[in-house]
Amino acid sequence: MIQFEAVKKTYVSGKQQVHALNGIDLTVETGEIYGVIGFSGAGKSSLIRTVNLLERPSKGRVLIHGKDISTFSARTIRDTRKDIGMIFQHFNLLNSKTVHHNVAMPLLLAKTPKAEIDRKVAELLEFVGLADQAKKYPDQLSGGQKQRIGIARALATNPSILLCDEATSALDPQTTQSILDLLRRINKEYNITILLITHEMGVIREICDKVAVLEEGRVIEQGSVFEVFTNPQHATTKRFVRSVMNDELPDSLLEQIRQNDGTRPIYRVQFTGNSVGQPFMSRVSREFQLDLNVLFGNITELQGIPYGNLIVEFDGAPAEIDRALASIRKDKIQVEEVQQYAG
Amino acid sequence: MQVDQSQILEALWETLYMTGASFVFSLVIGLPLGILLVVTRKGHLLENEAVFNVLNIVINIFRSVPFIILMVAIIPLTRIIVGTSIGTAAAIVPLVFYAGPYIARLIENSLLEVDKGVIEAAQAMGASPGQIIFRFLIPEALSSLVLALTIAIVGLIGASAMAGAIGGGGLGDLAITYGYQRFDTVVMLLTVAILVVLVQGVQSLGNLMSRRVRRS
Repeated sequence: MIQFEAVKKTYVSGKQQVHALNGIDLTVETGEIYGVIGFSGAGKSSLIRTVNLLERPSKGRVLIHGKDISTFSARTIRDTRKDIGMIFQHFNLLNSKTVHHNVAMPLLLAKTPKAEIDRKVAELLEFVGLADQAKKYPDQLSGGQKQRIGIARALATNPSILLCDEATSALDPQTTQSILDLLRRINKEYNITILLITHEMGVIREICDKVAVLEEGRVIEQGSVFEVFTNPQHATTKRFVRSVMNDELPDSLLEQIRQNDGTRPIYRVQFTGNSVGQPFMSRVSREFQLDLNVLFGNITELQGIPYGNLIVEFDGAPAEIDRALASIRKDKIQVEEVQQYAG
Repeated sequence: MQVDQSQILEALWETLYMTGASFVFSLVIGLPLGILLVVTRKGHLLENEAVFNVLNIVINIFRSVPFIILMVAIIPLTRIIVGTSIGTAAAIVPLVFYAGPYIARLIENSLLEVDKGVIEAAQAMGASPGQIIFRFLIPEALSSLVLALTIAIVGLIGASAMAGAIGGGGLGDLAITYGYQRFDTVVMLLTVAILVVLVQGVQSLGNLMSRRVRRS
């Protein structure tokens, strides 16, 4: 478990003070995959570095399994770091050493016997799917392979926490997917808590259980990925969600809504989980004598839960439309008129 | 030609001896200083402004004195260390004072080239400062360090030629006393040719070793 309690980080350069973190409160539960998203300069990388004290908080505390490690001696901090693996955007491997040596490094530092190291490294390389690359050097590998080596190295000391610093940001989409699959396997098979930072909402949607949105050193929104994606509150969050959810109305449609004279109101209908399975449209259409016209929409899946978002034009008697809306809402489907949206 | 083969061989030996010995001592002094210059700077492993500033200034002072002046200026110190201020052994002292700070700078440069991310990864895996220096910084910089030290050796071969001025002997001494002062062009050309071959050899060897240690 990782707890951030009112964490602040201020950098001083000359007379200028830069507040990278402005009072962060977050809790990452054991076994979770927690994603922190933000634009560059939001403080993500300072935040993740306060966990293993690569950056010391200027104020506040970071608790690892309930303990504030910043109060520990240098030696104890180093020991604690062995329980916190970390992978990086640019992998940070030793180019002068073989893959085997790179993965073995944390064990060499801990003065592990050679036979034990060889066994462990072979096991780790097998796990990340690079068993046949042990004798190669990092510059002979692709980006995705390098990140797998980074992951194997981070797991060498059997950590309980894995920190991912923009781990897929330098990779192409396909490789990103395979690395994310690997991270999910690590989380499930070894029950390792993962804290990751990214600027890609796709990464959050793909593997995170919870998400926090960071802006100017503050958490502006946090919650389960499902909550935040289906009901984003803050403008920045909405921008991030739109980057992957594609629920932004096309311009031509916005124009149509603007010119709507009100006789055929347009509603945004959002349905999740079980309600996806219901043929609500045809039912409502029959029951209330309405013509429903789907202008735009998409149905997708979030954390294994189906999620739909439709823009629907209702054509019929106003009283019947009101009754239809009430009936839809009773089925736990969210409906809101689009006019206010477009404004 | 006013010199015979044995004189040339003796001069060559003296040059090799002065260069070799002063290189070893310079490295012993320069390596730790170079490492300190890197790790005590702001934001680094063992940040220490006082140590860094003192080292920085002292090294700059030594680096700014021309070798020929340095050689004369530290004669009293040379006398204390080797008991005499003339001869090949005596020439080694100023050579070390000349090359030690130079090597420190070269090593500083090479170590600074190591990607900061590698150091961060080392810290994140719980490496101690000593482990970071010897298991991450130096291995990653080794190829560049070898090239830097090659430059230092070539510089020392050049400087050792000036050591003739305090009776240090060597090829430079031969070139001055016979080639220049006694107008023996053959000796002059011969010594220069030997020095050229020497420098070429050292540089080639350095390049080869640098490639070898790039992957270890």
